[in-house]
This record gives sequence, C-alpha cells and structure tokens, in this order.
Amino acid sequence: MKKLLLYLVLTLLAVFLMAPFAWMVLVSLQPNKAPIPTLEHLIPSHPAWSNYSLVLFEQPTLPVGRFFLNSILVTFCVVFGQLIVSSLAAYGFARLQFKGRDWIFYLFLGSLMFSGPVTQLPVYLIIRSLGWLDTYAALIVPGVSSAFSVFLLRQAFMAVPMELDEAARIDGAGDLRIYARVVLPLSGAALATCSAFSFFAVWTDFFWPLLSTNSSSMRTLEVGLSVFKSSYGNTNWPLQMTATVVVMIPLLVAFLVSQRYFTKGITIGSIK
Amino acid sequence: MRSYAVVAISLTCLLAGCQRATEKGPVVLHLANWGGANDDIEFGRKVDALYHQFETENPGIKLEIESVPDQYVQKMILGFVANAAPDVLSLDAASAAVFINNGVLQDLEPFVQKDQQFQKSDFWPNVLGIDSRKDRLYAIPGDFTPLVCYYNKACFDRAHVPYPTGHWTYQQFLETAKRLTLRDASGKITQYGFNFTNWMPGWIVWLWNNGGDVLTQDGDHADGAINSPANIQTIAFLRDMVQKEKVSPDLSQTAATGVDPFGNGEAAMEISGHWMIPSYKSAPKLKLDQIGVTELPTNLTKPKTVMYEVGFAIPKNAPHPEESWKLVKYLTSHLYQQSYQQTGIAVCGRKDVATERAKDAREQKFLDIVPTARPPWGASVVGYDFVEQEGKKMMERVLGGADPKASLDEMAHRIDSYFKVR
Amino acid sequence: MKRGKIGYFFIAPATLHLAIFAIFPMFFSIYLSFFKWNLMTSVRSFNGLANYVYAFQDPLFWNAMWNSTKYALLSVPLGMILGLLVAILVNQKLRGITIFRTLFYIPAISSGVAISILWIYIYMPETGLINSVLGMLHINNKTDFLKNENLAMYALVFMSMWVGLGPKMVLFLAGLIGIPASLYEAAELDGASKFRSFWNVTLPMLVPTTFFVLVTSTIGAMQVFTPVYIMTQGGPNEKTDVVGYHIYVEAWSKFLIGIASAKSFLLLVVIVLVSIAQFKILKNQMEGYSAS
Repeated sequence: MKKLLLYLVLTLLAVFLMAPFAWMVLVSLQPNKAPIPTLEHLIPSHPAWSNYSLVLFEQPTLPVGRFFLNSILVTFCVVFGQLIVSSLAAYGFARLQFKGRDWIFYLFLGSLMFSGPVTQLPVYLIIRSLGWLDTYAALIVPGVSSAFSVFLLRQAFMAVPMELDEAARIDGAGDLRIYARVVLPLSGAALATCSAFSFFAVWTDFFWPLLSTNSSSMRTLEVGLSVFKSSYGNTNWPLQMTATVVVMIPLLVAFLVSQRYFTKGITIGSIK
Repeated sequence: MRSYAVVAISLTCLLAGCQRATEKGPVVLHLANWGGANDDIEFGRKVDALYHQFETENPGIKLEIESVPDQYVQKMILGFVANAAPDVLSLDAASAAVFINNGVLQDLEPFVQKDQQFQKSDFWPNVLGIDSRKDRLYAIPGDFTPLVCYYNKACFDRAHVPYPTGHWTYQQFLETAKRLTLRDASGKITQYGFNFTNWMPGWIVWLWNNGGDVLTQDGDHADGAINSPANIQTIAFLRDMVQKEKVSPDLSQTAATGVDPFGNGEAAMEISGHWMIPSYKSAPKLKLDQIGVTELPTNLTKPKTVMYEVGFAIPKNAPHPEESWKLVKYLTSHLYQQSYQQTGIAVCGRKDVATERAKDAREQKFLDIVPTARPPWGASVVGYDFVEQEGKKMMERVLGGADPKASLDEMAHRIDSYFKVR
Repeated sequence: MKRGKIGYFFIAPATLHLAIFAIFPMFFSIYLSFFKWNLMTSVRSFNGLANYVYAFQDPLFWNAMWNSTKYALLSVPLGMILGLLVAILVNQKLRGITIFRTLFYIPAISSGVAISILWIYIYMPETGLINSVLGMLHINNKTDFLKNENLAMYALVFMSMWVGLGPKMVLFLAGLIGIPASLYEAAELDGASKFRSFWNVTLPMLVPTTFFVLVTSTIGAMQVFTPVYIMTQGGPNEKTDVVGYHIYVEAWSKFLIGIASAKSFLLLVVIVLVSIAQFKILKNQMEGYSAS
C-alpha cells in the first residue's frame, strides 16, 4: 500500500516535470502559423512534420546546420581543453606541495563568485583587442579552463590512494608520468563527469556567444534559437516550438548517454 | 601517445578558428539588414534574385547578407566596436543618429562627386536631408514611407460607414471607430474599429497631431515636452480607445493569438507604413484592392506624420570602399529599385521610380502625404531608442491602470537621467 | 607529497587562464567604473566617483537589487525544500526508481533559451498550458502571468524550481546516501519517531550538502539572466528587472560602460558579503553538530 502511494506521488511529479516537454512537442506539430490550440485540440489530426524540415533546411537567414556545427566544434574544443588544463591544475593542487598552493586554490574558488556581468565586459574588451571577436577563438578560449572543473577534479584526485603514487615513484616515474599513467586512468568517472558538466554548460551558454559573435555564420545553436524567436516576430508558435525541440534533442541524447555521471559527479563534489 | 594527439587536434581547431575567412579570391561584401525569416516567400525570392544580379554584373564581388532581425542597432554598434562592421549598412532613420553623430560612417559626398553616373537630383531632397549633416552625406536613401491611416473598405461596408476623407479630428475618428465596431448577438465583438499597437514609432503621430512632442525643440531633454498637458490628454485618449470605448482589441489578446487584427480583416483601420503592403498582399483574409489610405486624424489645422526611411551607408573603416560604393549605387539604382519596389514595401527614395508607381491611386496618396512628413527624432538624437523603449513601457503602465500624468512624468524623468549620462 | 617547484608547471595553464579571464577582468572592470565611456569612441573620460553616485541614486538599480533579492529569497529556500523532499522520495528502494531520477533531472540539462521560450507559451493567457488546464476546470483562464505585475516574479520563480529540481535532488540524494544507517538504528533504539530521526539525524548530517546547495543556488539566483532576457525583458513595469539583466541593459543597450562597471562591482560586493554570511552561519551549525 505504501509502495502504491509512493509510485503515485512519483508519477504525478514526473507528469508535472515532463508535461511541458510533451506540450512542446505537440504544439510543434501544429500547422505552421496556427494559433496555440486549447487542450482539446492539442493532438494534431495531421501532424505537421513539415515544420521540422522548414526549420532545419529552409531558412536561408538562419543556417541551423551551421549553428549546430558551431555548437559542436566549440563544445568539443572547450571540453577537451578543460580536461587537459583543469586536470593538470587539479593534480598540482591535489598531489603537489608548493608555496602559495592553498591561496591560489582559494583564488580559483573565489572566482566562481564573479563570473557573470562583472567580468563579461572586460573579457569582451580583451577578446576585442586580440582581434578575436566573431571568431571561434572568442567562443573557445575563455571557456578552456574552468574553476569548477579544477575543484571537482581535485576532489577526485585526492581520493586516489597515495600508495599507487609511491609505487610508481619507486619505479622511477616523474610527476607527469604519475599524472598520466596513474591518477588519470583511475579517475575516469570523475573525468567523464567533468566532461558531462562542461558539455552542458558550454552547449547551453547563451550570453557570451550572444555578445562575442555577430555574424550568423558564427552563431551557436543557443543564440540561433533566440534569433529564430525574434525573426518570426514572436508570433509563429508552432514553428518556434519546432525550433526549440530541435535544440533540445542533442541535449537529450547527450544526457541519456551520460546520465549516470551526473549522479556520481555530484556525489564527489558536495561532501567537502 | 593519445593525449598528444588530443592536444594537437585541439590546437588545430583553435588555430583554424582563429582566422576569419581571409580569402584571396573574390572580394566579399557584407550587407547588413534587419530582415528576418520571411513570411512572404515571394518577397524573399525577389530580393534574392536582385542580389544575384549584382554578383553577375560585378564578377569578383561576392555578396553576403547579414540578417539581424533582433536588436539590429545594438548588434551593429557592437560590430563597429569589434571592428567587424559590415561593408554596407542598412541605416534606419529612426536610429541613424547614433552612427552619424559618433562618426563611424563614411562621408559619401566624395564618392558622389567622383561618380559621373550618380545624380543626387534623382532623389527626394527632403529624404536625402535625413542622413545629411551640413555638407556631408552619410547614406543614400533606399526607400521611405510616411505613416498613414489604412482602412479596410470591406469593414466599412459591413458597418455601413462611408469611407474616410482624411479630414478628421480625434473625436471624429473615435466616432467613426465606434460605428465600425460590430458585435454579434451574444455581445462578442466581431469587428474592431481600429487596431492600436503599442509601438512608439507608430503612436508618436498621435502626440504630434494633438500639438505635443517627445523632446524639446533642440532634442535636449524630455521634461516639459513629453509630459505636456496635450500629451496627457492624448495618452488618456489612446487608453480609452482600447479600454473604455473598446474600439481597439486588447493588446495581450492580440499578442496571445499572434494574429494582426487588421491583417485578419477583423479591424477596420490601422496606422502604419507602406511596409505593410506586402503582408496585406499575402494575408488570406484581405483583398489588396479593398485597402484604402487616408490622412491621419488631427486636432491641428494640418495633419502631421512621421517619415521612416532606410538608407545605405558605408562604415568608415570599410576594407573595400570602392566596392561598397558600387553596392550602394546598385541598391539605389533605378534598375534595382524598380524591381524591389514591385514588392510594394515602401515609397522609393528615387523620384523617378516613385512617380512611376504613383499611377496607382493609393500610391499617389502616399506621395500626397509626404510633404506633411517629418523625420523621426532618432535621425538626429543619439540614444533615442531608449526613449522609444521607455515609451512602450509607459504605455503598458497606463494600459495597466496607471495615471497618464504620473507615467509621463516618470518617463520624462528617466529620459533626462539617461540623457545626462549618455 | 613531493615538495618543490614542479607544482607550478602543473597549475600554470589554468592559473594563467584564471589571471587573464577572471582576475584581470575583475580589476579592469573596477578601473572602468571610474570612467565615462560609450564603447564607440576611443576616448574615455575620467569620472571619479560619479558613476557610483549615479548608481546609488538610481532607483531602478535598487529596484533591480531588490528584485534579485526577492528572487533569491523565494527560489532558493523553496527550491531546496523541494529538492530535499524529492530526494527523500527517490531514496526508496523501488523498482524503476532510477528512471524517475533521470526524468526529474531532464529539465535541468535543457537549453536555457529553449526552456524560457517554452515557458513563455506555458504562461500565455487562454491557450497556454496552465490556462488551458484552468479553462478545462472552468476556472478563470485569462491571466497573462508574465504581463501581470504581481505574478510575473512568481512565474519566474516557479519556473526556476521546475528547472533547478534535478541538481538539488541529486545533491541531497548523495548527502542522504552518505548518512550511515547505524545512526538511524541508534535513534530507533532510543524510541525516536520517523519525524524525530529526520530532525535529529538527517538534517544535521546534511549540513555540508545544504551549505553547498545554498551557496551555489544563491550565487546563481543573484545573477539570473536568460529567463528575464527571453521572457519578460525586466517587465512588466520593471517588476522582474533583476540585477543581471539591468546591468546587461546598461552596458549593451545603453552603452553606459562606466556605470555598468560600477554596478557590477556593487553586485559583486553584495554576493561576497552574502556568501560570507552564509558561510559564517552554517559554520556554526556544522561545528555544533560535529561536536555531538
């Protein structure tokens, strides 16, 4: 009996959380330019699958394919960059002793506090003076290292037993070796988690790409979606929902593939 | 080692992306405009064909269109800041000041003087004046439009109301709108007299025609101008049209359904510019020959209206100024404009094309109204877009029940605070 | 642990990046806050403290601060309570519980822009999802939530709870899993009811997790931007004008660079103070409980 109640509550909650998505898909299949239907007419009699081809292929001013490629390229580069740069730093903080180590680490933590509007403008100016505005460099370089990743990976590396380090050192390995051959391989889960978090953060980053790119050939999917919204004069709902679904699908796929890392990852992050 | 490969790949990506396309082939010209995804496919196709023709006539030049449907002005400014401005910029009169006054555009006079084929006299002088400063010319006019009052003859017929003659006061306009507002047996409104849109570039004409204005004559501040007694009266009048007299549909209803009441044949009148014609053409419930044009209602002796214009300008640091000039010439040539204006988007900035098209009675009406048209504030006042945003917010407050005087005072206060620090 | 200089090499790339893209910008922003600049011209004129004076005297800035505070005060506690409750709910050994956990997380991974657009339509009068349901139940379905001065903020908060549930749930879940069963057994032996053991065992043991969630949620809430940008543009009547959006408009719409920088710095000060306060309060809690 208690189990039944629990399942009921869980299902209700699931409905509450998933209803908007279901609604989104159903509205996206309404005929182009139609007003939003009331609930009785929600399920379309003739699902307008053509909306999808309209959004994906027939928009000369909004090259969705290009947006998609940009998002992939940028995310790929940033995630890789972060894996390397952040893991190196995390190893330094977790495994090595040097003067000022803890102070510098707190600086990383502190920087998590001021990432928003405070730094956007100066970073924009820096990128501009480098001549990188409206290029891939602008989208990639500022994200290539993340204090959050450093934090997460440091936690993970600290959990790797020191004895393995010692053993490797006796065999004559230097720190770089230990980092690459001992610590990294044993932290696979943490690295995967880090990548997963970074992936979503970069893919859905809206403000920075909005600011640092101007031409449509440089836009990412997120920004493209917001441009899409305004270019339809904010009125063509079915088509806007279609665009939204299109943007959501890669995220959904990526999530389903990596979802267990989210549970694991947050475990590692929270305790200390 | 795998990690080295990974590093190498990432670096290559970085470096590859670092450079914008530096082609050693054709010159690529970027033309910026605010066109969005287009409802009228035909219009889009026509324009595309015209662009292609330019490329065919100018081998060695490739055209890339930068469409910025959202926050065009901000994006263009950022483009200038980023040294990534387009080669040719569509310049909207309503926001021209920020570019002209900040000195980021090229003076086109030298080009005009040098070019034998180009004649300034081809263009309407007062339209040319919008983008001029003393003896410098910053943009060549493409097209323009005064705001007019559109009316749907079918709606008038349905209500048995004679067509407007254009000589009407606000009160007479309201009476007409009331007669045009029809209800069915259950009391639900089936036809509205007038479609009011909360878009300040559109409703500023109501302020002007009641003797008020937005800024003082020198364009320096708002207090005393925007919150004048005449304006308070006007804003109250507009609010009452929507809420008390109900001759205009509720704005959030309109937003919710997303259908333009006039375009849907459900509103008898609408104040807008020539740019609506292509969408009226493609609106399923409208017949273009049923659409009439008349002067705006006025409480003054002669009606006033605003003129919106689009011109083409060249940024100061354009890398290929000669080619940019070729494009500007093309976009304002008789050939291009004649084709382009077939879409019906506006009144041509060229006298010859405009007069040709005025064979149609409705087109002629636009030309008749032109002498009463004034350029928008944005053509000479920097930061005017802020004023328009505050205007929209003010109107929303009033429609939400706020007192017009208080709202206008607040708007004046905000504008002046901004003008002080801008 | 090995001591020496090699550590510097490892942290060099990340630290360099931090210096260039986080530390230096912060100081540069403070520098800019003393100037008047509109970005288009190359000249910057020194303004002294004028920008700060303007910021302090700007009622809209304080309105934005208040809105951000209101947003944080509403969304953070509510979100945390919801997260904790759902975490307890999914901490059961039921079949298929992982499916539920996954489903509950999906809103959080969604694109911020997509979610914002989706919820615009959910909140629309008459045909929006919420009003459709209300209409079917013959309740008033004409409320335009996002255009209603009194409701708009709550609409945004509600949406944030829907989006933010996943991560909070997972964090609390991790915390719950980490509580040793022996503590519960001891409490049962002492005759404690379910409620008592929740109060005396669960909550205290969750303090570190709670702290982490609290601080990160607050920082996020104080800087919320995308939903406001997409859905309300600060309206209606500046009722949802939060500091993040307000500063964006000052900088990128009105091009008041100096003023925007000054306001950004003031925001930073507030965030730091709030975080320190939260740390101090919870530190006492943590010490209190670890002693027992």
